[in-house]
Amino acid sequence: MHDTKLSIGGCYSLLLILAVTIGLIEYGGLVDQQGSLLLTLSFWGAIIQGAVAVAAVTALVRAKWIASLRRELLALYPLLLLLALLFALLWPQLELFPWDNHPTAWLNRPFFMGRNLVSLVLTFIAGRQLALHSTQGTPFKDRYAVIYLAAFVLSQSLVGYDWLMSAAFPWVNTMFGLYFFTESLYAGIAVSGLAMLLYFRLRIKAAPEQTTLHLRDVGLLLFGFSILWAGLFFAQFLLIWYANLPEEVHFVTERLSHSPGRELCWLFLISLFLAPFVALLGGDAKGDLRFVSSISLLVLAGLFAERLFILLPAIPYHGGALLLYNGLIFVMMLLVLHSSERLLPQAPPERNEGQ
Amino acid sequence: MQNTSSTEKIEQDVLAAMSWPSRSYLACIFLAGLVFLGGMALWGRQIALGMGVAGISHPVGWGVYITDFVFWVGIAHSGTLISAVLYIFRAHFRTSFNRAAEAMTIFALMVAGLFPLIHLGRVWFAYFLFPYPNQRQLWVNFRSPLVWDVFAVSTYMLVSLVFFYIGLMPDLAIVARRRTGFTGKIYRLLTLGWIGSSQQWRHYAKLYFFLAAFATPLVASVHSIVSWDFAVSIVPGWHTTIFAPYFVAGAILSGTAMVITLVIPMRRLLRLETYIPVEHIESIAKILLLTSLIVSFAYIVEQGLAFYSGNLFEMEQFRFRAFGDYRLLFWIMVGCNSVLPLTLFIGRLRRNLAFLFVLSLLVNVGMWLERFVIVVTSLARDFDPYAWGKYTPSLTEFGITAGSFGLFFLLFLLFIKILPVLSITELKER
Amino acid sequence: MARQLFFDDQQTFLQQLEQLLKDGTPREQLDVRTPYHLSEVETLLAQPPSKLPLFALGGALAGFGGGFLLAALTSLDWPISTGGKPVVAVPPFLLIGYLMTILIGSLASFAGFLLLARLPRIEALVEEQDFDSRFIITITDEVAPCTTLN
Repeated sequence: MHDTKLSIGGCYSLLLILAVTIGLIEYGGLVDQQGSLLLTLSFWGAIIQGAVAVAAVTALVRAKWIASLRRELLALYPLLLLLALLFALLWPQLELFPWDNHPTAWLNRPFFMGRNLVSLVLTFIAGRQLALHSTQGTPFKDRYAVIYLAAFVLSQSLVGYDWLMSAAFPWVNTMFGLYFFTESLYAGIAVSGLAMLLYFRLRIKAAPEQTTLHLRDVGLLLFGFSILWAGLFFAQFLLIWYANLPEEVHFVTERLSHSPGRELCWLFLISLFLAPFVALLGGDAKGDLRFVSSISLLVLAGLFAERLFILLPAIPYHGGALLLYNGLIFVMMLLVLHSSERLLPQAPPERNEGQ
Repeated sequence: MQNTSSTEKIEQDVLAAMSWPSRSYLACIFLAGLVFLGGMALWGRQIALGMGVAGISHPVGWGVYITDFVFWVGIAHSGTLISAVLYIFRAHFRTSFNRAAEAMTIFALMVAGLFPLIHLGRVWFAYFLFPYPNQRQLWVNFRSPLVWDVFAVSTYMLVSLVFFYIGLMPDLAIVARRRTGFTGKIYRLLTLGWIGSSQQWRHYAKLYFFLAAFATPLVASVHSIVSWDFAVSIVPGWHTTIFAPYFVAGAILSGTAMVITLVIPMRRLLRLETYIPVEHIESIAKILLLTSLIVSFAYIVEQGLAFYSGNLFEMEQFRFRAFGDYRLLFWIMVGCNSVLPLTLFIGRLRRNLAFLFVLSLLVNVGMWLERFVIVVTSLARDFDPYAWGKYTPSLTEFGITAGSFGLFFLLFLLFIKILPVLSITELKER
Repeated sequence: MARQLFFDDQQTFLQQLEQLLKDGTPREQLDVRTPYHLSEVETLLAQPPSKLPLFALGGALAGFGGGFLLAALTSLDWPISTGGKPVVAVPPFLLIGYLMTILIGSLASFAGFLLLARLPRIEALVEEQDFDSRFIITITDEVAPCTTLN
């Protein structure tokens, strides 16, 4: 198994190949409806940035929470570069956005591309520094955790306001930024649930007590975030429903009045709130690998459904391309998780830290 | 882990605060009581003469009273945050603050609960707010955010009280053991016969966890509901989805500031330096910094998206906030809530208690002004320029506001003498 | 009738408790008091898990159903349309249900605690039994009524 692990150079080359492949498919005349790339980006942006952010938060507050998974999450940092590469591919596709015909001071091509690329590259640089400093245990690791989180919040807010909200321009929802970085953290926790699935059997032998405890942490966090997510979702829905202003309501009615919006809405409500909440309500379920890992997968699926729900009416897309891109990136993520020992050598010294 | 002498020392040190009051303490009690009574007298005058003695009128029907209400509910939040949320997150520095913070929650809610009543034109009909079967055959309007508020605040009060009492139970038993005579009997009665047997502890630990688990989402929802008093309307500047998380962050910001304001002097006067180390106060300062950043984020988003949307009313509202009649208050608010807390990125300042104390006072001022700016500016300038107006608070409103601070500090001072200010049981565990 | 052992520190107390159990003292004859909660005691005495979660869950469900129904049925009882909202307006009523979930859930947990921990305990109040700052193991000759397992 060890020979399948990626080295750092191999990882970056593979990323480049992946980006080029996606670019060729997108612009090689294979796909007539461009939009899959934006959908893919908005989904994976949340997952990858969120996974590193979860590691950053737990490191920063010196929590013992999921400490044994911190390295696996941090090892995903090369994928942050992939996001920037893929986003650069969006440049020729900006006519997807309704504001492209009448640009404003905020929404115009150069500024839109510029600020988003800068935030993605910044996130990558900060994430890389954070990962390297954490594993070496230098005194700067906290500083980089703060810098990463700032970049993360900026980047995910831009995802919310720029990539998704502006696709429904001039519809406005001020909570989108906060909602997206919260969702991103939720996705990051789901990734740690997946990492548990990969590593649990190995570690339960080495450190049984710690491993079961961290599995419980993942379960508890998933449970907590399901409630938090529901609260944030409800807070948006309630205001739009209550005020009933035509310029706000059209966004909801457009999506809920016909398929597939309606079904997608049920799907993500169940997989992001109802299912995690009910399944992990019991104390025993939180410490059960089968429950936690399947709920993690469900949460990621729900997140995907939610991105489709937001973007589908506004953006044309090609189903095959969408599946292919997401499949490729998913395999890439599993590979990186699997090679984390080689990508980030040395265990984090804060294993036994915490207060 | 602990031996008798050290547990003995913890008990003595913490309970030393409950000794016979000094003269300066009595002077403080007297002063706080006097200010409170003054506020009450002004309220009495308002009941007698009518709401005209307050400055609220058309178009600004919500003024200082509602500002005060939101402010005090916000102050209440950090108590539950520190005791429940940090308990769930297993942050051990909470043991330095949780008792004082929980007491703060209860007192702040008592004060906050007064303001909707003060704001009522005919306060003797206050009970109409509750859904009870009556001969008028009327029920409350459950679609109204004001009714959600009644439910939210009363739920919050009851749950906080239970949580406070449960946390106190073992400590009350310690006080009962160390006190003789009549007061000892009273304390003993309050413990319900707590002896710390393994049976009792088993269920106690579970209960504490459950109450914390219930209180955590409650904290988030109460201030969200307070924010929806504004946000479900269509008034520009109020109707915005970020209000709920923004208010919750603001509440925790003002609440942690108030915890710092109260704990730093308390620690010094009661000589509890060993039990409330500077590192723990530093952790609270970090929470203050975090929530300040969230609040700043919300300020930027609100302003930015008003201009993004191109909505004329929203743009004018936010221009008016920053450059209109209330601009001075707006900029003080930005300075106190967004700019000054940034100094907490510097570790030395985070550990400097004098600096923290001053900063926490300024954040309190800033947060009060934030509520004022939100409540008043949007009402002063809504859609129709013909209906625009200006609002200046009257002396009565200021007097009642001062009285509310008097009541809060009076209750807190009494608490210091009557109940153990730190959780002795949890300190022994530490 | 009963032997009492006092300990000042946690370590010695736990070792002694383990020793007693090893020596074959029946669990029912041991009554343990500690100055703070120790999960190790629960494990050693093999106490069954607390039934408190049932109270919490029952209270929460009752609260949610009750809160929602209170809002819905009172609205139907006096079906007046306000603010252009339907008579049974689900989103706001969910809020009432949610708040009542927390309220009734917490109060039911509290009541469950009093029931399970057998509080208020009159004999402790009358005899003025203290909550000691030491660890105490009481070994009774026969099972005391207050240590019945629940």
